[in-house]
Amino acid sequence: MAQMATVTIQEARARVTVGIFADMPDAAAAAPPSGKAAEAALEFLTEMSPDLRGAAILGPEGEVLAATGEEAGRWGEDAAALFAVADEAEGAPVEQVHIATEQGEVFAVRNAGLAAVTVTDRFALASLMLFDMRSTLRQLASPNFGGSEPSKSRKGEG
Amino acid sequence: MPPKPHRVLLERVSVYADEAAAFMRRRRVARRPFARLYYPHGRSADHAQDSRSGAELFVAAGRLIEVAGKKQKG
Repeated sequence: MAQMATVTIQEARARVTVGIFADMPDAAAAAPPSGKAAEAALEFLTEMSPDLRGAAILGPEGEVLAATGEEAGRWGEDAAALFAVADEAEGAPVEQVHIATEQGEVFAVRNAGLAAVTVTDRFALASLMLFDMRSTLRQLASPNFGGSEPSKSRKGEG
Repeated sequence: MPPKPHRVLLERVSVYADEAAAFMRRRRVARRPFARLYYPHGRSADHAQDSRSGAELFVAAGRLIEVAGKKQKG
């Protein structure tokens, strides 16, 4: 009986996942989002992720649209360095990066022409973190995002 | 005398909870640093800390951790 339930859940998840990715824009955003919209998205991401220590959202040219803390410039430089090293590792552009160290974990995601980088405590749930980051970028890139909370998030699904 | 059905259920739940807690403990103890890159179409690649690319990734990640600083939220 328990086995049947597991199979049913996996089937449902597959159906939902297909739905999620079906409306995911692959191309770059038509116009980069405003700094205000990026700050709202970053605030929502910070609120949603209790393990998060700091984060930044980068525009199509690698410019910092929003960042936590006082050192927005450093976020831009260090995120660019991380993506450069990651792209060089296998000679192909990466979509996501997850690096776990003793001091914390680093996640970086590229989606819809934008990029997000976050630093979390150790043992953060990677799949949820990456999902939230992708979701935030996708919402931010959509033309009708006006700085309100992204509608598709795990917060409302539980 | 057989135990009451709800006690059986409670015991089973606590056994599962204990198992989950033990799994999380083992995971915390055994988990080592890693660098994992994900590419389009679901491909992913791990880079060992002692490889050249792995070492560079850890250095870049270390800088970002430094920028983020300590956790500010309670």
